Amino acid sequence: MDWEQHVIDATTEVFSTMLMMEVTPELPRLETIEPFDHSITGMVGMAGQYKGMLAIHACDQVAMAITSNFLGLEVDSLNDDVKDAFGELANMLAGSIKAYLSDNSRDIQLSIPSAVCGQNYSIDFHPHRRSTMVPFTSAEGTFLVELQLEHQS
Amino acid sequence: MDLSAAIIDSTSDVFSTMIPLDAIPGSPITEKMLSFHESITGMLGFSGDIKGMLRLHCPSMVALAITGSLLGMEVEQIDDDVHDAIGELANMVAGGLKVNLAEHNKNIELSIPTAIGGISYTIHGLASAERITIPFALKTGQMLVELEFIRA
Amino acid sequence: MGKKVLIIDDSSTMRKIVTRSLRQAGLDFDTILEAGDGVEALQVLQNESVDIILSDINMPNMDGIEFLRQKAGIDAIKAIPVIMITTEAGADILTEAKSLGAAGSIKKPFTPDQVSDIIGPLV
Repeated sequence: MDWEQHVIDATTEVFSTMLMMEVTPELPRLETIEPFDHSITGMVGMAGQYKGMLAIHACDQVAMAITSNFLGLEVDSLNDDVKDAFGELANMLAGSIKAYLSDNSRDIQLSIPSAVCGQNYSIDFHPHRRSTMVPFTSAEGTFLVELQLEHQS
Repeated sequence: MDLSAAIIDSTSDVFSTMIPLDAIPGSPITEKMLSFHESITGMLGFSGDIKGMLRLHCPSMVALAITGSLLGMEVEQIDDDVHDAIGELANMVAGGLKVNLAEHNKNIELSIPTAIGGISYTIHGLASAERITIPFALKTGQMLVELEFIRA
Repeated sequence: MGKKVLIIDDSSTMRKIVTRSLRQAGLDFDTILEAGDGVEALQVLQNESVDIILSDINMPNMDGIEFLRQKAGIDAIKAIPVIMITTEAGADILTEAKSLGAAGSIKKPFTPDQVSDIIGPLV
């Protein structure tokens, strides 16, 4: 199943409305990706008729710049604001994708978001299986939006 | 209902059926900010009457021992199998929790499991959420099973 | 005896765990075939005859329920028993699986004894 367009539409929409940022999708990543280096990942689970996980990954510098736009204030360290902002971004992206997948909002429910950050960590990515990973470029730098999703019988 | 007991029951159930390693539950940990070194975290979200995330944190040595035991073979390095196995373990513990909650008339739906691993990372939850973290002592180290949740 | 089993699961690790459980359950299959989803499984079944199929439910491309439905329509393979392996499928999904011909189900976590009790009589 091809979820790529949902990822692109949701990300473009959330970034233009909430962050006033223009973002451009690049070709989806088809190979496994390198471990994240000084990065942050916001993620949220999706449950119900579709089960999955949405994640947004960015390096610390880009994450701080995105958070500055998001909160409308200068952010110069990887503080709780950045972590909360990335959890919230994941939440909004998943919420927007959820609306594309089903008219009935009860069909898919979101878990609570969380953020992972660190000097070195990797997250499972299964290209060709059920994961879509789309890089986006913006004036603030590059970030990745990943969607793992499966439709329930 | 006693969620600590539910976490212990569902974790112990998975170990006693599928993983012949001793995993002895300890007293709940109250720290909110968790940092990990050379570890793997299996996690999945859930939603419904209670919303949250279940995370299972294993130092590498513990993850290798658990994976070896699940696969029935010696596992010496952290690879996709280890990530998948720890994700699957989180999935099975969450499945047990789901059954346990349903007996108390609380229904949850599960997301799919994901694993994170690395040399150094921290996990940051929602400030407004409750957390219960139960340590399990294994011969190779300590595994943490953490439930972060908000009551709907 | 030359018994063959087909394990269908999108996680290769889970396929290994099931393989290990079969071995511990004392079920000695001569050949263990694997497929990552229902589509791959149907391809495997075009060339191989198996004695039993163990299938996950939630999978990409073609899930376990759709696999049962398609398999039921193919004369050459419709009689092969299928056991569903699942973590949390609700009673409704398991009932649907049964109505589509599944011979039974195993809930994760499972012990080798449970595996042998459920699969043993079928092979």
